[in-house]
Amino acid sequence: MALLELDEVSSGYGYGPDILNGVSLSVESGKAYCIIGPNGAGKSTILKTVAGLLRPRKGEILLDGKPIGGMRPDLVLGAGICFVPQDRSLFPEMSVRENLVMGAFLEPDRKVVSERMAQVFEMFPLLEERVNQHAGTLSGGEQQMLALGRALMIKPRMMMIDEPSLGLAPQIADQIFDIIRRLIQLDMTLLLVEQNVVRGLASTEWSFLLDLGVLRLEAPSDQILDDPAIRELYLGRQREATQEVDIGEQS
Amino acid sequence: MTKVDKADPAATPTRPMTETTSSRSGRVVVIVLTLLLALLPLARPLIGQPHNYVLQIGMVGLMWVALASSWNLIGGFTGYISLGHNVFYGIGGYASGLILLYFGLSPLLTFPIAGLIAVVFGFLVGLITLRTRGPAFIISTIALLLMVGLLFDNWEFAGGSNGLSLPLPPFSLENVKIPFYYAMLVIAIGSVYFGYRVAHSKFGLALRAIAQDEIKAEVAGIDTRRMKIAAFSLSAFWVGAAGAIWGYSLTYLRPSIFFTIAIAAEMVLMSIIGGRGTVAGPVVGAVLLVALNEVSVSQFGSNELNIVVTGVIMLIVLMFFPMGVVGTLRERGHLPGFLDWD
Amino acid sequence: MTHIIQVAILGLLLGGVYALMASGLTLMFGVMRIVNLAHGVFIIAASYLAFFLFTGPGWDPFLSLVVTMPVFFLLGLLVYRMFFPRIEESPRFGEMTVLLTFALALIVEGLLSYFFTGTFRSTSPSYATEAFLIGDLFIPKAQLYASITSLILLFALWGFLYFTRTGYAVRATMQNRTAAQIVGVNVRRISTLSFGIGMALAGASGSLISFLFPFFPNSHWRWIAILLSLIVLGGLGSLKGAIVGALFLAVAAAFVSDQFGPTWSPMTFFGALFLILLIRPRGLFGEKARVG
Repeated sequence: MALLELDEVSSGYGYGPDILNGVSLSVESGKAYCIIGPNGAGKSTILKTVAGLLRPRKGEILLDGKPIGGMRPDLVLGAGICFVPQDRSLFPEMSVRENLVMGAFLEPDRKVVSERMAQVFEMFPLLEERVNQHAGTLSGGEQQMLALGRALMIKPRMMMIDEPSLGLAPQIADQIFDIIRRLIQLDMTLLLVEQNVVRGLASTEWSFLLDLGVLRLEAPSDQILDDPAIRELYLGRQREATQEVDIGEQS
Repeated sequence: MTKVDKADPAATPTRPMTETTSSRSGRVVVIVLTLLLALLPLARPLIGQPHNYVLQIGMVGLMWVALASSWNLIGGFTGYISLGHNVFYGIGGYASGLILLYFGLSPLLTFPIAGLIAVVFGFLVGLITLRTRGPAFIISTIALLLMVGLLFDNWEFAGGSNGLSLPLPPFSLENVKIPFYYAMLVIAIGSVYFGYRVAHSKFGLALRAIAQDEIKAEVAGIDTRRMKIAAFSLSAFWVGAAGAIWGYSLTYLRPSIFFTIAIAAEMVLMSIIGGRGTVAGPVVGAVLLVALNEVSVSQFGSNELNIVVTGVIMLIVLMFFPMGVVGTLRERGHLPGFLDWD
Repeated sequence: MTHIIQVAILGLLLGGVYALMASGLTLMFGVMRIVNLAHGVFIIAASYLAFFLFTGPGWDPFLSLVVTMPVFFLLGLLVYRMFFPRIEESPRFGEMTVLLTFALALIVEGLLSYFFTGTFRSTSPSYATEAFLIGDLFIPKAQLYASITSLILLFALWGFLYFTRTGYAVRATMQNRTAAQIVGVNVRRISTLSFGIGMALAGASGSLISFLFPFFPNSHWRWIAILLSLIVLGGLGSLKGAIVGALFLAVAAAFVSDQFGPTWSPMTFFGALFLILLIRPRGLFGEKARVG
């Protein structure tokens, strides 16, 4: 059975129009998925809706077969889904350590929290160096590392990461993706949104192509990468209001 | 976003001025009502003894129409809540009163000057206070009201907290209400018509854009600061004018007449009840509240519970009918033509 | 010279109490973006409670803290639950909180007026007219005790915010509401709690000012205008700013009062407000232009 299932989910912001128009997809445990598509397609909206920051207007979201649509974000986290937003959403006036501790907010056992923090430092030695620095003063790459590290503090069953390489220089983005690959090797279930299609497809097994709130295509990541016709059709097309997604270039 | 934000009270779109049958008949109703209002003072033989009382109520009602309508310019169209707008009320009142005392000119003539003085004051204040958005601005309006009230309380030239006595208007006791009534009628019509013109202008469009999303408006190239200051200053004009006439009608000026929060609350409440951001809203709200007030005072007497009632009504409207009468009716498609002035 | 120190001390003592009053207001804004115009009227309501405990069973106003704080805490939970979750989704949330709390303030003021009339009240414990004499300095007992109590309460607040799990959750919510949600904080519960705490601080303030300033129902407008000016100066949402603003302005007001008379003391706050709007609209410790 799939870990996470979306069934004809529609949602939007405030009283505005539907951004997602009946999206159905499923995520299996232990695998890594990427959502790609043009700007405004609704990629972030999917993650936010699953995370509980948005309420689905139609359709169902199931975790292990149990409905979680419309659940409060803290309860969604409690069920094991961790969300790393596009803006990283750190606590700017708290230190690296405090941010990490907050990541484990739902973990009652202090010893476990310390252990996890040690593990996170092992994965991100740079964070250990800056342990007492305020999160607001970290560089872009460090903030992303902290965001990922914080997400790991709760040992989630599934991680949703929204545009991990956004705003990062290519070398730093590479580092981040190395970490993501490590997570995948450790059997973390991952749902990624990535604007840089090459990175996104190269790091994951399966991909969803979203456009205008609708799922247009889902296929193994390497098929999309290798199939020039599909690339041309869905990714090379000119779009009026959105940026052209050009393979090999980070938008 | 093509769909208009329904729950957003300030989002009423500007309609093109095309004539529909309902709006034409609506226009007729408005003209007839205005004529009736204009003829009211001459109807003494019809009304008889309560005539002066009727004129007084009429004058008060018209005054609140002007006040609420003006407030709506900054609080409704632009979405910047001013909780101390009656600071202009007092400034206008004192301005005309002092002019009367020192130059002998009647406020019935000088009220436009009072309005202008209020505008200048509003402009200067707006330069400072409209540098911020949201909460800081609102706070500054309360502080301004209390500050000016405090200043007038201690300004010996203006009579301090005891105030000033004004010479009696040169009319017979029987007819004295009539010129005041007409002055307020002019002010009320001026205020509402001004709001109407703004609503149908590019200026009004800019203001609504600011109300919807100020950042987007700025990005779209609107000089939001200038627009806001303009709206704030202009909204002071009819308020100041109304204050001038009111002060004269009382024949004395005292800070406590003008600078109380209760008056600010009424102005805000009327626009909200009627429908913030619409042209007809404040008029409806003013009429409703003045009527309600008359009824409640005659039944229960004037006491502290009035302000409780004001608060309760405001609470109910805010929580359940945030679009006000006009806004809610429009949303449900039941807005009668004669109230559709947007 | 002694005179200057004297005035400054009087200012500082009052500043402590102002800081307490402003802290509740800041907490509400910081956590929930609520501009609570009713904060002043709840402080006054607490003063009335302290007054009746004083004139009735003869409770010292400091003792009344034991009643006012829990009562207003619970009242805060109730008020929050009744009104605020409903408008949470509103597109004009900031304004709505202003108008809603404005309406609340009118209602409470009207009720206080109706039941207790407009007579000036104050509690008058013995220390209200006594003072310590240290060298040439005259230290009024009432202000001193109130200030010390305020400091203790602020210290307790600090301890709560920086040393407890819930306190961390409150600070997290203040810094980034979304982030708090995604790390597992129940922000609805935290908001309710924060409102309760803010009201408890209002309750405490009410007890303390009951013997410092004679009050009547309408006095809350003066207070709310002063407190709001103060937190705009300090920077909306910054507790540190509120405390610094309070101390600074209270000392300034003391000097103004000394030079020009006590009627002008409120002007210090209003003047400071307009000054800060002119030169640094975000306040001393505030963040850059936040959309209201």
